[in-house]
Amino acid sequence: MKKISIYQIAAKNLLRKRTRSVLTIVGIGLSAWVLASLLGFNRGYDSALKKDIDNMGFQVLLTAKGCPYEAATLMLKGGTGLRYMSEDVIADILNQPEVEGVTPMLMQAVFDPERGESGAIDAYLGVDPATFPPMKAFLKFKQGGWFKDPDKHVAVLGYEAAELEQREVGDKLLIPDKNIELTVVGILERSGTQDDGTIFVPLRMLQKEFGQLGKLTAVGIKVERKADTAALENRLYDLPDVQVVSMAQVKNTIMGLVATAKVMVFSIAVIAILIAMVGVINTILMSVFERFREIGIMKSMGAMPLDVFRMIWTETVVLCLLGGALGLAMAYGLARVTDLLIRRLLPYAPTGSLVLIDGRLMLTTFAVVLGIGLVSGIYPAWRAARVRPLESIRGEGE
Amino acid sequence: MSENTLAIEANNLRKVYHRGSEEIVAVDDISLRVAKGEFISFIGPSGSGKSTLINLLGCLDNATAGSLRVGGEEVLGNGRGMSEAAMTRIRRRVFGYVFQRFYLVPTLTLYENIIMPFAFYRKPGAEADPLAIIRFLGLENRLRHLPGELSGGEMQRVAIARALVNKPEILLADEPTGNLDSRHGEEIGRIFKSLNEKEGMTVLLVTHNPLMAALAQRTITLSDGRIVNP
Repeated sequence: MKKISIYQIAAKNLLRKRTRSVLTIVGIGLSAWVLASLLGFNRGYDSALKKDIDNMGFQVLLTAKGCPYEAATLMLKGGTGLRYMSEDVIADILNQPEVEGVTPMLMQAVFDPERGESGAIDAYLGVDPATFPPMKAFLKFKQGGWFKDPDKHVAVLGYEAAELEQREVGDKLLIPDKNIELTVVGILERSGTQDDGTIFVPLRMLQKEFGQLGKLTAVGIKVERKADTAALENRLYDLPDVQVVSMAQVKNTIMGLVATAKVMVFSIAVIAILIAMVGVINTILMSVFERFREIGIMKSMGAMPLDVFRMIWTETVVLCLLGGALGLAMAYGLARVTDLLIRRLLPYAPTGSLVLIDGRLMLTTFAVVLGIGLVSGIYPAWRAARVRPLESIRGEGE
Repeated sequence: MSENTLAIEANNLRKVYHRGSEEIVAVDDISLRVAKGEFISFIGPSGSGKSTLINLLGCLDNATAGSLRVGGEEVLGNGRGMSEAAMTRIRRRVFGYVFQRFYLVPTLTLYENIIMPFAFYRKPGAEADPLAIIRFLGLENRLRHLPGELSGGEMQRVAIARALVNKPEILLADEPTGNLDSRHGEEIGRIFKSLNEKEGMTVLLVTHNPLMAALAQRTITLSDGRIVNP
């Protein structure tokens, strides 16, 4: 003999007003999507930013006081404003116990009147072939490889620089104004960092050609894994005419900027969840009111208040579980779209995936949506459980 | 009548409703004994208290005063009624209800509607009977249909089957033919008669229809909340 349970009655009841049930599920789904995407963003952003900073290859950057340390800043200043420090500083840095390695760098910028309609600034980063490549081991070459000779007139182009200059390995590259010809020996794959737009040249060659022998604009410092970076930074501050740029500080600054955006987006998520809860309560309450007499009949058949409570609560939970599943599928399937939307909102977005959705996050979201279902269902289920058979059959109390 | 042969014993039952400051006495000092296996019909004009009386007898409502025993168990004594949970336990053990409107669940098939009481309570010994009841009511060919596909008479037969599935001792029917045409009304009347005569089931029927009332062994007429032909 076929049997029937309270749960089957509850599940089938959701088919009664299909459009209403579907709309409620979609509402919950959208909330679950927003929630999962935001939780995923919270993790993804931190992870992407950390990866970006780790990909710089060094944890501390020492620059001459007042010298811009980012190519973009240099461009904004029209290639001017470079400050220099002596190469002697390297010995002082290497004396520090926390330091695993250093790589000296010299940035030079020249105006290229041939570029674009009104010319543009070309920046060249002189790097030490002995120390720079090992620190940037994650950089992969599309063509060629690193230069070995510190005095040779050669260049390695970042992915975007190569695209812009339309150069391949073996092609020549002219430094405007200086009339120096470089041979391209390597083109990097896209790394998603500012290295993509950089033209790398041998440090000593750049120092000679630009008359900056013995001078540097920056020194990248790789710190021992378990070393106290803050203590090292404090001691580096004592060195004359240098400024210390801690990547941890950079990360914290960016995180601070993003925190406002995160609070805003989380507020939207909370509102979305509240709206979903109200939607669920409304749907189930309407359903209870519509079935007032039917519930009364069930009670006359012997249904206890707890039976009715379970039946109505089950309906709420089923709606939320279906909505949660839909929302998670959307969050997972549309993670790329969410990524693009978030990038439009943020002042600085690191490379890599900003929305990280994994099994643990999906379980967390599912638990939250289930919690919403359990809480939202309490009031309608309680109202239904209180129905007195006679009053409902007579149509009172509706 | 000895106590073992009594299905219901009511003494001085009184039910008072309040509508604002107005006091409405729906049932006024009614005493009644219903023997096991008896078929009683209640007739009277609208507002005479028929439905209120069988709702009190059927443990769907608590009386304001009086005493009531159902199946030997005291439901109301010295003006103190039972809790809703205790009433529910008596209802599911003793009564089957049929109302004027059918209140079938539209998303459940006919068969699922009939066995729905089992979702809440399964009276020992009732499990094997649904198909016998279904055959008795001539519904065996429509088991997979939804209520929306049935006629009014068929829906009421489903409601009767649902009321019988837990083997009640007393069938309580409040205007069961009120929504049906005369042909289907007669059909339902014959079912009640048959249940009473063949199964020995106690039947309490509220009706406006004198032909239906005539099917019963005893007819009680009410007026203004009182029995006028004890």
